[in-house]
Amino acid sequence: MPLAAHASGHESLSAGIKYHLRYSVGNSSGIVSKQDILQALGYTVRGWLIDGLIASEERRRRIRAKRLVYLSAEFLIGQSLRNNLFNLGLLQQAEQATKQLGFDLREIADAEADAPLGNGGLGRLAACFMESLATLGMPAYGFGINYQFGLFKQEIEDGFQKEKADQWLSYNSPWLIERPAETCAIPLYGRIEHAQAKDGTYNPMWVDWQIIIGVPYDLPVVGFGGRTVNYLRLYSARASDEFDMKIFNSGDYLRAVEDKIKMETVSKVLYPPDSAPAGKELRLVQEYFMVACALRDAVRSYARESPGGSMERLGDYVTFQMNDTHPALAVAELMRILVDEHSLGWEAAWTVTQTCCGYTNHTLLPEALEKWPVSLMERVVPRHLEIIYEINRRFLAHVERKLPGDQARSKRMSIISDAGEIRMANLAIVGSHSINGVAALHSQLVKTRLVPDFYTLWPERFNNKTNGVTHRRWLACCNPSLAELITSSVGEGWLTNFSDVRGLEAHARDKAFQEEFLRLKRENKIHLAALIYDTEQIRVDPESLFDVQVKRIHEYKRQLLNAINVMHAYLCLVDEGAKPAVPRTHIFAGKAAPGYWMAKLIIKLINNIAALVNQDPRADGWMKVVFMRDYRVSLAEKIIPAADLSEQISTAGMEASGTGNMKFAMNGAVTIGTLDGANVEIVEEVGVDNIYIFGLKVEEIEVRRNGYHPWDCYHASPGVRRVLDALRDNRFSPEEPGLFQPIVDALLDGGDYYFHLADFDSYLAAQNRVSWDFQDAPAWAVKAILNVARSGKFTSDRAVAEYAKDIWAIKSIAL
Amino acid sequence: MRLIEQKIGGNVVLAVLEPRLVADKAQAFKESVGRYFSDGPISLVLDLAKVEFIDSTGLGAILSVLKRMPKGSELLVCRLNEAVTSMFMLTRMDRVFTICKTVDEAMTTLSRA
Repeated sequence: MPLAAHASGHESLSAGIKYHLRYSVGNSSGIVSKQDILQALGYTVRGWLIDGLIASEERRRRIRAKRLVYLSAEFLIGQSLRNNLFNLGLLQQAEQATKQLGFDLREIADAEADAPLGNGGLGRLAACFMESLATLGMPAYGFGINYQFGLFKQEIEDGFQKEKADQWLSYNSPWLIERPAETCAIPLYGRIEHAQAKDGTYNPMWVDWQIIIGVPYDLPVVGFGGRTVNYLRLYSARASDEFDMKIFNSGDYLRAVEDKIKMETVSKVLYPPDSAPAGKELRLVQEYFMVACALRDAVRSYARESPGGSMERLGDYVTFQMNDTHPALAVAELMRILVDEHSLGWEAAWTVTQTCCGYTNHTLLPEALEKWPVSLMERVVPRHLEIIYEINRRFLAHVERKLPGDQARSKRMSIISDAGEIRMANLAIVGSHSINGVAALHSQLVKTRLVPDFYTLWPERFNNKTNGVTHRRWLACCNPSLAELITSSVGEGWLTNFSDVRGLEAHARDKAFQEEFLRLKRENKIHLAALIYDTEQIRVDPESLFDVQVKRIHEYKRQLLNAINVMHAYLCLVDEGAKPAVPRTHIFAGKAAPGYWMAKLIIKLINNIAALVNQDPRADGWMKVVFMRDYRVSLAEKIIPAADLSEQISTAGMEASGTGNMKFAMNGAVTIGTLDGANVEIVEEVGVDNIYIFGLKVEEIEVRRNGYHPWDCYHASPGVRRVLDALRDNRFSPEEPGLFQPIVDALLDGGDYYFHLADFDSYLAAQNRVSWDFQDAPAWAVKAILNVARSGKFTSDRAVAEYAKDIWAIKSIAL
Repeated sequence: MRLIEQKIGGNVVLAVLEPRLVADKAQAFKESVGRYFSDGPISLVLDLAKVEFIDSTGLGAILSVLKRMPKGSELLVCRLNEAVTSMFMLTRMDRVFTICKTVDEAMTTLSRA
């Protein structure tokens, strides 16, 4: 295929599609399906991407630019076709080319399966960062695992979540390029033999290990304008030998492939969120596999590109960013490589390691901080355990020198706990020159609540990098009509300089602009209403207020608080005839971890509320409740542009940042939220008049934590009482009595850890203000437009530029 | 176990012709190479140029020969490819063995010993 014929024009795209239909898809019948076109178009675009990738690599090599290796167990990529075409500037040509073949590009792009290699915010952040880094022309590469089964598909049966395996195209996706020449052999298991070297010095030898082969698959990431193409390098695990031939020859065929199967399990499945990792050996192996492959690759590239270069200068060549603690073993693995394989002295190796590594914290929830039993670590990575012991010994000696005489402090800071566990966050902090949180409030809480001892020791290492999202995917691509309106108002510059959207402020009070803005929102709502009918068979009114909460289901995110409010509105309507101020469509979506029983019960509750409300003629015309199944990136891209109200209602102090809140704001949804995570900065940006803030603040929660009695709320609040009584009386589970009693118990007798009841009245009052304000369409339009106009801060372009300058010391490479 | 023996001066150079020195070859390797030391101390150079892949049992077999050879013996390895070298370094066996690039370098090293 003459891919040099990348000449613009849909003719070359058409030729590419036809070529790949025949030679990549193998279709010569003339009967072509949507999937065939999707594959053929994907392979055609792949040619552009590969050319860009080679050119970008050459430019980086030529000037010996320092590179970022972004280590992340998750990259929640979603679909790629539309965004690749958009960033390459080929969208219109592809529309024409597919039309010529009798297909609609929108339908083709919608048919692409999501790459579900992540659970939620952390993984999507990594994907947004990769796109922004490429757009800014930064030499940056993501390293992770090519999970065969990504996050499960969610089905709803009788209101309950059911999980189904989601095997995406982990091997034959047009976006993945296999790199057999860059394969890595990764040792694990075995034991340490305490031996002597030739010169008589102590020589701990790692022996009897087994090998996993890491086979990389590169997923090109093109920046806007197509000038830079970076890649995500995702590793699949393979056994080192196809079979154990000795066993095979003896006739025991099944045992012969046993090891092969065991090793390949390593990249089989993405661990779901919120599942306690303790004791999950496979998860530890995955984390080690990922960092061992990535570091080996980086060190090998350094040796290739700087022949004879000293490993002491590795930090001039590469920087590693650990996205949460999943890659924290990078600290020990880099030390092992430097000390064992490159014979650096401990101090020199430690300086290199700290220079190279940075750590991003993503959670304040103590239960989400990873800890691994020493015994497990000893079995899986015995040499690394030894190295961690030595890091810890030297670190605690340093603590004693700097902050002497405080045993309790030393115990808190130790990488190894008294319970015999490795604290991965402590390992990541000790081994990094930079530790950052992901929103201003969160970074403050990291310093004051999560690890104050470390902040006392190394205040200069702590910093904030507020999250961002790529506005090209989350506005320009997913909301093209709004994007056009923005471009017609402020020019095209906003695509690469998002702060330009500030120019919309000048139009916010322009009647014609408001009408156009509201018309486009209504169009998006009509599309979503059609999708809701298509997937859930529920008719919703696009004129109603679309009140949306879409995110992982977790108690701290408080979908339950939203559900309590919906039940309250319904009960007021049917018991008292109190009609809401405006008709609302309450839209929920999100997955619960398969083992998180309470989260799954909340899904069932929402579905039961939906079943009751949607068939009740008294509620008809006033409220509808929808739980959209199988929340994923591509579904978010359809829901968010259609939202009027964005629910960001986590318990204050529990959401690190949130990124959904940013996506909604930039699409003109007004937020109702607590002062938590990045909501605090959204308030600062959009102004207190253009957001609905309610609930207890972090410090108020801290004060009330010990003296909080949910029963007092029950007695004091008629709204709380009404809803909990109805739940207890099975009004939302008439056929399943007692089903939701555990929710009532958790709220009243279980201490209501997440302060649902304490915040309910405040939430209700804020919701009433929303209903009131929504009736005044022009005033609402001003709020919505100002949300878009003032969301410039929340692009991931800004976030990665800050990381690049303050932490990574990498620079954009000019063409 | 496929080996080719060559005598240079008073030293033995043993070229290992197995592309994969792994579990099913380890025992045979220990026996075949160990035999050279059965009549007393000698200097032996293992030429691993043909070995494309070695696992921990292969390394263990070489280490076992080293541990059992009679006092006064020498065991050197040479002509390791990149993958095999990395396995020696990974295990820190490069600090136990003298590793030479060529057979000639090994001979020179032995002559200085």
